[in-house]
Amino acid sequence: MGFADALDSGKFIVTAEVSPPRGTDLLDILSEAGQLQGLVDAVNVTDNQRAMMRMSPLVLCHKLAETGFDTIMHMTCRDRNRLALQSDLLAAHALGIHNILAMSGDYPTMGDQPSSKPVFDLDSVQLLQLIEKMNSGFDFQDGPLDSPTSLCAGTVANPGARPLALQLLKLNKKVSAKARFIQTQAVFDAAVFNEFADAIKSIGIPIIAGIIPLRSARGARFMNDKIPGVNIPEDDIKRMETAADPVSEGLEIAAETIANIRPTCRGIHIMPIGGHGNTRRLLEICGLD
Amino acid sequence: MDEHMIITRLKPIEEILTMVGKFPASTICVVGCSICARKIQTGGETQVTSLAAQLSSHGLDMLDGKMVKHACSAKSWDELIEENPALAQADTLLVLSCGAGVSLLGRISGKPVLPGLNTTSIGGALANDTLEGVCVMCGECDVAIYAGLCPKSGCPKSQINGPCGGSSDGDCEVEGRKCIWVTIYEILECRGMLELLDDIKPPVCHDRRL
Ligand code: SF4
Ligand code: SF4
Repeated sequence: MGFADALDSGKFIVTAEVSPPRGTDLLDILSEAGQLQGLVDAVNVTDNQRAMMRMSPLVLCHKLAETGFDTIMHMTCRDRNRLALQSDLLAAHALGIHNILAMSGDYPTMGDQPSSKPVFDLDSVQLLQLIEKMNSGFDFQDGPLDSPTSLCAGTVANPGARPLALQLLKLNKKVSAKARFIQTQAVFDAAVFNEFADAIKSIGIPIIAGIIPLRSARGARFMNDKIPGVNIPEDDIKRMETAADPVSEGLEIAAETIANIRPTCRGIHIMPIGGHGNTRRLLEICGLD
Repeated sequence: MDEHMIITRLKPIEEILTMVGKFPASTICVVGCSICARKIQTGGETQVTSLAAQLSSHGLDMLDGKMVKHACSAKSWDELIEENPALAQADTLLVLSCGAGVSLLGRISGKPVLPGLNTTSIGGALANDTLEGVCVMCGECDVAIYAGLCPKSGCPKSQINGPCGGSSDGDCEVEGRKCIWVTIYEILECRGMLELLDDIKPPVCHDRRL
């Protein structure tokens, strides 16, 4: 069953994230992703994540699709104008990519190519509309396509962002633009997530919650400072500080978070720091393997 | 003329020296502009005199600096010469105005013009404050929807359908900035006009500016 079917089926969804290499060789990342075989409904591939230059996700998604994974290709509006976005959407379909995660993208000054031109020709709402249009056989200018795409499009949301009303303004537009699911920023505070899930319950869109197992107290503090919208509770940081085995403690904390949000979300999205070596273990703790 | 302003910044002296170095044995006149650049203190009398003195100390052949009324609008070169006869003696003009002024003086003078400033945005002057980047000249002004504020210029990502995911507690993900969407929202909420934001706004038509 592909990811889109899993969404429709009501099954609890598990996805996991990988990033393309900073060079030309795909061997390492393909073997890394290999650990996810049989564990996930889809693998997400990032698009110059955090504005750091990497290989195009089109290629890695294609390679993963060849090894039997369903993939969710991240597509930011930062680096491409509407011509290039359309080209890549056609390419995605042709390369066996079935799902797109539409997002604005971090600003170039946050990454390693700070002098890049920030494109933002479309925003994430308009990108979702574009995908919907191409799925019905037309391009941005309403010209007919020789063959339509059939892409399942989702988008991102940040449950911790305040004011919440402002987040909801954009989210409502994304839902009218036919987003079929939302994936959230990493959830560290189950109460904040559940409040968000409750606020958007009436919209009825499946929420896939982002999960980052903590690895160290230092790393947790770094994320709190550097990653917009991340808010790791001080209690958890203290637990990490005093734990004999911080990596296992991080997995325990993540498993507790997952248990606490499971009633309000449709799935989880695992985006570990430093590889998927412990992803199977985390899913085992949660009984999701 | 206080109601509009082109925001400019003085180029580093090294860059100016490299530019003028391409025109050896040339008599140079620094030209300031009495509108925006003077107001924002990048191309007023003080900056013109000081740049001319600096270049002179590097051994360049400098005329006394001159101010024009508005570098971006003139009837003719002859008229400018009438007001400022010294300009006729210059081989090269080093202009402290926005890019439009530099370009216009180049066209009408027929002389090489060198930009002494970098033009960065359209802004405004509010008492002693300079407002930078309040318009990016999109060609389809719709700030009425956004409480008079412009997200195309005020938001680094030009988000016109609501904030990006990086907006957090009123701050923009780009360091040192406020998220303009929070301000837009607060004003419209106060006016009871939040429904202005409900519709999905289509992308800007960039061909309208051609
Ligand atoms: S919408 Fe913004 S960028 Fe466009 S003309 Fe108005 S102020 Fe300028
Ligand atoms: S945080 Fe606000 S101002 Fe900054 S890029 Fe995002 S939407 Fe724009």
